[in-house]
Amino acid sequence: MSAAETDDRAESIRMIRDSAAAVAPRGGDLKRVRDLRWQDPGFDAGLFRQMGEMGWIGLRVPEALGGAGLGVAEMCGLAEELGAGLVPEPLIPCALSAQLLAACGGKGRLPALLAGDAVVLTAWQERADTLEVPGSPDAPRRFLPMAAGADVFLLPLREGGRLALYELPAERCAPAVERTQDGGNLGTLQPNLQDATKLADDVGTALADALDEAALVTAAYLLGGMERAFAMTLDYLKTRQQFGKIIGTFQALQHRAADVRMQVALTRASIDSAAAALDAGAAGDARRAAVSRAKARAAEASLRVTRECIQLHGGIGYTDDYDAGLYLRKAMVLANQYGSASLHRRRFMAASPEVEE
Amino acid sequence: MDAIRIPPPAELDALEDEHFRQVVRAFLHANYPEDLRNPPKRLHWAENKGWYLRLAEAGWLCPGWPKENGGLGLSPAKQIILTEEYERHGVARTNDHGIVMLGPLVIKYGTEEQKQRFLPKILTGEHIWCQGYSEPGAGSDLAALRTEAVLDGDHYVVNGQKIWTTLAMDANWIFLLVRTDKAAKKQEGISFLLVDMQTPGITVRPIINLEMHDEFCEVFFDNVRVPKENLVGQLNKGWDMAKALLGFERIFLGSPRQSAYALSRLKILAERMGVWEEPAFQDRYARLRLDLEDLKALYGTYVDRLKRGESLGPDVSMLKILQTELFQAITDAMLEIAGENAGLMEPMEGNRDLNIGGLYIQARPATIYGGSNEIQRNILSKNVLGMPG
Repeated sequence: MSAAETDDRAESIRMIRDSAAAVAPRGGDLKRVRDLRWQDPGFDAGLFRQMGEMGWIGLRVPEALGGAGLGVAEMCGLAEELGAGLVPEPLIPCALSAQLLAACGGKGRLPALLAGDAVVLTAWQERADTLEVPGSPDAPRRFLPMAAGADVFLLPLREGGRLALYELPAERCAPAVERTQDGGNLGTLQPNLQDATKLADDVGTALADALDEAALVTAAYLLGGMERAFAMTLDYLKTRQQFGKIIGTFQALQHRAADVRMQVALTRASIDSAAAALDAGAAGDARRAAVSRAKARAAEASLRVTRECIQLHGGIGYTDDYDAGLYLRKAMVLANQYGSASLHRRRFMAASPEVEE
Repeated sequence: MDAIRIPPPAELDALEDEHFRQVVRAFLHANYPEDLRNPPKRLHWAENKGWYLRLAEAGWLCPGWPKENGGLGLSPAKQIILTEEYERHGVARTNDHGIVMLGPLVIKYGTEEQKQRFLPKILTGEHIWCQGYSEPGAGSDLAALRTEAVLDGDHYVVNGQKIWTTLAMDANWIFLLVRTDKAAKKQEGISFLLVDMQTPGITVRPIINLEMHDEFCEVFFDNVRVPKENLVGQLNKGWDMAKALLGFERIFLGSPRQSAYALSRLKILAERMGVWEEPAFQDRYARLRLDLEDLKALYGTYVDRLKRGESLGPDVSMLKILQTELFQAITDAMLEIAGENAGLMEPMEGNRDLNIGGLYIQARPATIYGGSNEIQRNILSKNVLGMPG
């Protein structure tokens, strides 16, 4: 990229980040997020519609199909801001569905999804901690994020060597819902093929590609949360007094804070380089390696950083009234969504076996 | 390799970056002694003199110096490329304190007379410099140094002791931080002095380190008389000058090359020991591998900053901490899987790639030199995170 292109790109990412303030104001409190916890559906449908109006659900969908046609780096920038504000609306799984429908030529409910009028979730997952899509006809589909608020499910089905895509209206096929640590929910869907409508004979690699992106964007969401939780912790270390001193003057705590800062820096470098690789067209092993590296780092670092934030706060960090715990609980849920650190380490090694000296 | 023409030194900085990289590769291929690639220890002057003089003869000795002072006048971006290629080729460090430390300081702060007197002799290899900063009572707390210089007529009289003076036994000149005002606040009474090692009253005593190698020395000063024109810059401003010289070179302490080298050896060892396929080992290796890849990505962001002409802030300390601790973690893993071979003095089976104990020991000082990792964490917490106290 030329210097001018680099500047344009940085400006585009900055604008997306700024626009996120409409939903998650920087420095705003988390009252809205708290109020939605463990309520059905766990998010605000009105706000989801607003996300549609802002073009976020179709951020990665080509303009010809009604999307914004922006890059992975923009999507990661947006997710980071939303992660900082713990925004619970299911943008990442819905953006995945939008990409899948776009790959099928804009079929089904794509316009309603892009507008934020329909929550469309892709029911691809058949077991815990996987990125594989077997597409079994009768296996329950597991771990559907925010399934309590879904309007439509997309169902990939293996037919011969191809992966066909079906659409299922939620009112004909209600998922069983379990609540999650962050206040949201995960659904299990028993697919009912009589009510399914076929959208495409073969989605090719579109679902695998969209899952890759969802893993990376989830990493970015976690990064935003880590940064905000760490900023809160630094403020606390700089004001809390014990033994007649500000506790941030204690070297043991300073060094722990420095270690947290380094994990945040590594996570950012990992995600930024992965997003740049995807935007530059990385495919196959290079793409998988870049994504898995970033998700493995974000998953592990987000848990480590949020744990440290609780510890560095002491007792107040263990109360539900204090926000640090909200970040820990979010990390507990998202660290393993779209693949755990352990899965992504194995996947990285398979995709990139040799170290470059 | 295609025959790449190596342009005259003065033209190197004008080359396009990728072309420059190819020129550096060709130069090393044609000039670097094969038996000095990836040496297991820091080389002495007797060993690297041939290469040093070859660089001098080619005009390549001082990449960062301005052309008018006999350097290549390379931009930071090109200096990074040069260093990357040196690292890739396994080029040994030379006795380079004159090149990277003293030369730039004299260029920036020295008088015209001092430039004429000292710079050409670095460029010819006639003067080999060592750095006299640390003292027994002034390590991490360098500003506590006590070696003093007292003016007596036309001379400073130096008394005291320096320690951890790398390759002092090879050097014929030493640059010193000395105390010239005992009453001032500790950073404000320090001056910068150049001393001929032949001056009476200087004693050099090598120290054997854990590698059983005499890499550094103690240097004693007993009423050493130094002409007062050997003071560089203003009296009592030595601390500020030395600090100002901590330039972008700090990034190299965080270069992932050392860890990349060690990690590839860990794999060779794991295969040799029959543990490579074990899931527990694979997971451990994968973690180290990902640490390396993310460090490379982070390092890359700093290189990009330099290439855009930005200077580095105190956050560059992160690179040094991450790199050196990763290097140690890799050698820890090597030691653990090697069984009894870990305790051998010589490389396992005479294979230089399986130098388990050697690499383990080599990794130890990495977290100490160049500002210990504890000091680096202090810098991060105070200057980056803004922690009080």
